[in-house]
This record gives sequence, structure tokens and C-alpha cells, in this order.
Amino acid sequence: MENMSELKRQVDEDNAGERDTQKGKYMTFKSGNEYFGLEIQYVNEIIQLQAITAIPETEDYIKGLINLRGKVIPVVDVRLRFKQEPFEYNDRTCIIVINIKSMMVGLIVEKIAEVVEIKEDNILPPPSVGRTDKVQNKYVYGIGKVGDTVKLLLDPDKLLNDQDLTVVEQANEMNVEEE
Amino acid sequence: MAEEFSTDGMLDMYLFENGQLLEQLQDMVLEQKDADSFDEDSINEIFRTMHTIKGSSGIMMFDEITAVAHKLEDVFYFLRESHPENVPHLELVDHVLEVADFISNEMEKIRNGDPADGQAGELVATLDEFLEKIKGGGEGGKNKKKKSAEVPANKHEEPKQFYIAPMATSASHFYKIYVSFFQETEMANVHAYKIVYALKEVAEDILYSPEDIISDPDCAETIIKDGFKILLQAQTSEEEIRKIVGVGYDIEKVDIYECKAEEFLQGFDFNDHDMAHAAPMIDLESSVEEIDSRTQASEADGAKEEKKPEKPAKPAIAPGDFVIKSKEPGKQKKLAKDKPKAEKASFISVNVSKMDQLMELIGELVISESVVLQNSDLKVPGLNLDNFNKAAAQLAKISTDLQNVIMSMRMVPLTNTFQKMNRIVFDVSRKLGKDIEFVMVGDQTEVDKNIIEHISDPLMHIVRNSVDHGIESKEERRDSGKTEKGKITLSAKTEAGKVWISVEDDGGGLDRDKIMAKARKQGILDETRPDSSYTDKEVFQFITLPGFSTNEVVTEYSGRGVGMDVVVQNIQAIGGSLEIESKKGFGTIMSLKIPLTLAIIDGIVMETGHSSFVMETGAIKEFVRVKEDMMIHEPNGDEYIMIRGECFPVLRLGRWYGLTEYKESVEEGVMLILEVEDKKVCLLVDKLIGEQEIVVKPIPSYIKKVKGLSGCTQLGDGSIALILDAPGLIE
Repeated sequence: MENMSELKRQVDEDNAGERDTQKGKYMTFKSGNEYFGLEIQYVNEIIQLQAITAIPETEDYIKGLINLRGKVIPVVDVRLRFKQEPFEYNDRTCIIVINIKSMMVGLIVEKIAEVVEIKEDNILPPPSVGRTDKVQNKYVYGIGKVGDTVKLLLDPDKLLNDQDLTVVEQANEMNVEEE
Repeated sequence: MAEEFSTDGMLDMYLFENGQLLEQLQDMVLEQKDADSFDEDSINEIFRTMHTIKGSSGIMMFDEITAVAHKLEDVFYFLRESHPENVPHLELVDHVLEVADFISNEMEKIRNGDPADGQAGELVATLDEFLEKIKGGGEGGKNKKKKSAEVPANKHEEPKQFYIAPMATSASHFYKIYVSFFQETEMANVHAYKIVYALKEVAEDILYSPEDIISDPDCAETIIKDGFKILLQAQTSEEEIRKIVGVGYDIEKVDIYECKAEEFLQGFDFNDHDMAHAAPMIDLESSVEEIDSRTQASEADGAKEEKKPEKPAKPAIAPGDFVIKSKEPGKQKKLAKDKPKAEKASFISVNVSKMDQLMELIGELVISESVVLQNSDLKVPGLNLDNFNKAAAQLAKISTDLQNVIMSMRMVPLTNTFQKMNRIVFDVSRKLGKDIEFVMVGDQTEVDKNIIEHISDPLMHIVRNSVDHGIESKEERRDSGKTEKGKITLSAKTEAGKVWISVEDDGGGLDRDKIMAKARKQGILDETRPDSSYTDKEVFQFITLPGFSTNEVVTEYSGRGVGMDVVVQNIQAIGGSLEIESKKGFGTIMSLKIPLTLAIIDGIVMETGHSSFVMETGAIKEFVRVKEDMMIHEPNGDEYIMIRGECFPVLRLGRWYGLTEYKESVEEGVMLILEVEDKKVCLLVDKLIGEQEIVVKPIPSYIKKVKGLSGCTQLGDGSIALILDAPGLIE
């Protein structure tokens, strides 16, 4: 938890600063075996898991609604969104509240990792050849190298909106495991 | 100017207060637009309003506003003092509204940080002309020559001569209070001031003598010698005043006499008179009658001096409205200025962002409260939590109340919006030469502030349309056997959790054939469909399409074909809809149906499985506990229930939404009989929690619409409950 508050502070500081200082910074979190990165400008805050009101008849990855200080925001289970195995929520489970086009959405993630800086040179475009059975590729717009590890950089807009793969994206498919 | 003050609270205050004054002014003017002339109260009110605006604009250095306000004040000063006959009332109404518009415009500029650059010259000139005109009329009347000659001389004097006191209500009492202090009292003036200060709390108006008790320490002697005299206008009883001004270590004796308003109005003359002439001051033992007779005498004196013989005799002058001569001390004037503010204290203006902040904070408080109260540390077995639970219950109650208060604070009646419409009807109908009666129903309906902001413009369009091409011209109306006076009804109500605002006119109605023809021309119609297959509703919806106007002539107000589509867009933006009903020759009803969004409704909170739901109380007919043998099962899975010989279809909420751990047996749960538009259905839920006022929030747009859910709300414990939409369930 200490780790988290540290991160939160960092996020807050970054938000307070100029947009420039946010550039190239990514909030990373773990989902399944992979680490994912979200551009920090989208991140509003990180909160602990709270009571979720389920909504019937919606996609399984939409877990329901939470009350964030009087604001009702939907929460999405990232693992289910990635069609990974569901996981049990525990006290490491966090909700990253992101803000895209003035819509707030919470992302339930297993574990928050850290805020990393990834230079543009270290971001590789997704390889243009690869297997086509990967599902997460449509949300991933790039692969960031941090030391020896890689982070899959997410396009939050695509993450939330369940669009079918476009032709361009299909052409851009890539193989994560090969990295 | 504007930049200099843009961060200054003073400017905000100025804009807010004057904005309110102008609104009140317009309301009042429109209320009396059909009368032959303004009544006395209104004239005074308008005069006061203009005076206030002039004063504050002067301070803020908005010279053009000051000039206009001053001019209108002059006009009303003349009306008030001279009661001229033959004032063209409608023209006067127009002038007042013009002035109000000008000032509103300027204030809007100031609000946006633009310089208030409107030129008042023309307006002032028109007002001057008007003033001359009515003065001309006034001079024609007998006995008025003298006054009208005198009044203009008066009106150019400095404004500070006017003592504008708050209106007295009929419940006001007037008192003469004589306080005598013990001879040995030190600094009697301070003691006297203490009394005045205490009385201010209850006073609607207060005068006292000697006047400058604060600045002039010498008057302490006078007070001890002659006593301290107060004239008080208040709603309180004599006993209450005695409580405030009680006999104590300093005060020897307090005499309170109730008197009439007229005497009260003459109060200072009487005091001055006494001060000047009656050398041994009032002996407190002298009877009220004696004092009264003295008052009468001074009244006569004063009247003679003022050379306005008619004035004191005029019974119509409202108490507190009199003009005090400029020799009156400034202190009273200040007091009187304080008063209207005190009356307004029931309303304060708060920045909306602060309200939102407060709302968020309360939300957070509620959450952290539940974190504390349901903390797992408390779940250790063997703890004695009696006291904790008591305290917790108290805390929970307070925070629930707190939430309810903040929610209700956002609700605003539609009155102001409706008044604006009144103004539009007035303006447009006059310019078009139509005679229209405007009726408002349910303007007290409370709607969330956000909604009001969004419906104001669409509503304006609709009302304008109704006046412009809903209501026919006088001639047409006569020919079709209607009364010449058209009628527009604006009504609002909350029904089935929705706010309905409808504009109804008794005009020509929509012409189906004309709309169809136009639609064909624009190629909207599906040519494979016969015309008759289009329902009226569908046809009327065409007029809400962009660029669709059946009006051949573009007028100043409507007919350009932009409008209805914008209206619909705006309404849809807040999740509402527009319904059009019309009968050719009989009129049109345009109804805005604004969904629950943000409106507060009464709801029943219930539980099924682990989920909380809320159902609007109005949709629920009754709750019943049922027995298994009342159920009828059809082979295809449909279920019915017989209750008192009536058969209802049954809907199991848990099963319908595929929830988990809900109660399967009907005997364990509760049946709700829902009724919407004569259709009834039974809904099975696990248990009822209670009734609560809830604020409806939309389900975030990210989540696709779920049938039977119309929104969500925050419950007292910070959790979210889904709001069931009875019509959706019944479908």
C-alpha cells in the first residue's frame, strides 16, 4: 500500500505540473502476466477497491458502478476486458480512475506497478506481422522498453470502446510473446 | 473597470443583486401590464429598484447604467409625487422593460469581462421625452400645476435626500418608546446606542432622538435630562420590546406607546418640533393624547413649510415610503439601507462550484463514515460496542440529513424561467399586434438547477413559435369564431418521475397536409408508404428536422427553419424528449418530457440478491405478501398471480436480471403491484428497505441502456442503487 500512496502522490504532482512534465510518463500495472502502461495524462487518481453495484444485462467486463465522492462512475475489470481468466479481488486490487473525453471510468487492476518514463525512442510500433488470434492487440498501440522489461502501452479510448478491429489494426497485429 | 473588479467579490455582489432586482422588476411590471396603470406599491417599488441600481452602479462607476436608472427613477418619482392622469400605461411598461433590458445587457457584458460600452444616450432621451409628455398631461389637470412645477426642481437634487425604507406590512406595529436613564448613568449615549442596536434586530424601521448618539458625546447629558426617544416600527409585540429594552441598572423607566403609522411617519417632525420649541422636554408622565396632539400640530407646521398641502393628507402613502428632508441625519439612512438586506437574508447567493464541492465532500464523508462504522476492527468478538453504536447511529443520522440538505439545495423552482417566458409572450405579441393571455400553471415545480439552465432556451423557442405562428391574427380568430384574445398556457408538473413542461396554445394548430407536402418536397417521405400510414405524431415530428419550416414568411422571431431542431437537440442532450400534439383549428400542445435526471423523487428502496433497487413511489400501487398457491404457472414459463380475484402477470426481478442469491420462493419475498397507464404487473423482490427521497443520476453513458433501468442513485450509506423504471418493466 505504501507503494501505492507513493504513486498517487507522484501522479498528483504530475497533474499539478505542466503537461510537458507528464509527457513520456506512464502508469504501469499488472494484469495477468503482462505489464501494461497508460499515459499518465489520462489517469485521474488511484483508489482502493470499493463496493461495486452490479448492473444487470451488461458485458461481463463491466463490473458495475462505484460512487466516487458523489460521482457515479462505471468500472471495468481489465482482466476480463482482455479476456484473461477472472481473478479474485484482494486488498492489492486497485481502481485506476481514468478520464477520457471527460468521461470517467474506473479500471480494476490486479496490482499497480509504478510510474515509468519511457522515451519515444524506446517505444516500438507493434510489429506488422504476427499471429491474428491475440485479442489485446487492438488496445495496444505500442511497446515500451524499460530496461529489460516491456510494457504494453494502452490506448484507453480503444480499451473502453468495444470496436471491432479495423483493417489497419489487423495489419498492425503483433506478437507480444516474441518481444 | 471590469478588469479591475473582475476578481472582486463586490462586482459579483453587484451583478447578482441587481440581476435579482431586475428580475423582480420585470415580474412586477408584467403582472400589471394589463392594468390601466401601476398601483401605488409598484410605483414605489420600481422607484426603489431604480434608485438602488443607480446607487450601486454609481459606486461601481458604470455611468451609462447610472444614467438610465436615474432617468427612469425620475419618471417614477414624478408618477409617485404627482399622480398624473392619462399616462399611456403600455408605453410606460415598454419603457421600463427597455431600461431593464439595457441594464441586463450591460450587466451581461460586465459579467463576461467585456467593457460595458452600451450608450444610454438614446434611451435617456426617449425617457426624457416620455417624462415631458406625461408632465404635459399632468399640467392639464387642475390643482396640479404647482406640484408639477415643483417636482422637477426636486428631482435633480442629490439622491441622498431620499429615505427609502423597507415596506411595512400590515402586521407592523408602531411604537413610541421613551427611555429614561438614572441620573448618575455615565455615558448615557452609549447605553442608548445599546438599546438602538438591540432593537435593530426586530426593527423594520427605527428613528431616535437625539440622533447622533455615537458621534456626539455631549448628547449623553441631553439623554439623561430629557430621556431617549425611539420611534420603532416592528412586527413584535410590546412585551417583546420590553424584554429587549428592559429596566436595568442603567435604565430607570421605559414607556412604550403603540401609535399609528401616520404618527410614526411624522416622527421626526414631531421630535424636531419638540426639540426646537418645547423647552422642557416631554414629561414622560404626559398622556399619549397630549403627545399626539403635539404631533398633529407639528404635522400641520411641517406641511405648511413644505408647501405640499395635499401630501400628508394622502392616505395612500405606504408607511415607510416617505421622503425625509435632507437635513435628516445620515445614520438613519444607513440603517434603512441595511434593512432590505436583512430581509433578503433568507436567500444568499452561493457559487455553484462551491456547492458541487460541498456535495462531493459530503459524498466522501458518507463513504468514510461507512468505512469507520463498518470497520473490520470492530468485528472482533467480545467487544462491547453499545456506546459506540449509539454514537454511530447519531453520526449516521446527521450525515444522512446533511446529504438530504445538499441535494435539496440544488432544486430551484421554475418560477424565474416561466417569468422570462411571460416577458417573451408580452414582447412578441405586442410587436405582432396580437392579444394574448398568458397563463402559468405549476411554476413552483422544483427542478434541478442544471436542468433549468438547459431548458430555458428551448422553452423560449417554443413559446415564441406559439405566439408567432401558433396564435392567429385577431382577424383570423374572429373569422373562425374564436375569441380575439389568444391564450397560451405554460404548465409544469412532475409525473411518473419526469418533469413535464408543456406549452399549449389555442391557435391554428399544425397543418398536417402542409407539413406532408413540405416533407415530400424535401424528400423526407418514404414514397413507398401511403400518406395515410403516417400517424399524426410522426408527421408532427417532421417539424423538428433541421431546415424544416412551413412558415413562408421569415419574421423577426421565427420561420427560418432553425429552431425546432435546435430545441430537440438541446432537450435530447439532457435526455428529454419533445412531444407534439395538435389539432387543426384548435391549437397545439408541445410537451417537453424531461426524464428523472437529477430530479429528486420519492422512492422505495428494496433489495434483491445483493443489489439495491429503487422504485418510484408513485408507480407502486401496493405491497402484498403472497402465498405459493396464489400463483398460476403456465407451461411456457410465464407466471400469473391471483390477488383478490384479479390476475396479474408476475415478474421476478432476480430472475429477470439474472442476479444471484435471490429468494426463489414467492412466500419469502414481497410482491409489488405496479401500475402504469392502466397496465398492472407484479414485481417480486426480496425485501423492502424503506422510503427515501432520492436524487436521480443518469447511468454513465459508457454503459449501454438496460431495459427497465432509468438511472441510479446514491443511498445514505454511499452505495449505489439502480432505479427501476416501471414503464420499462411493464413493456
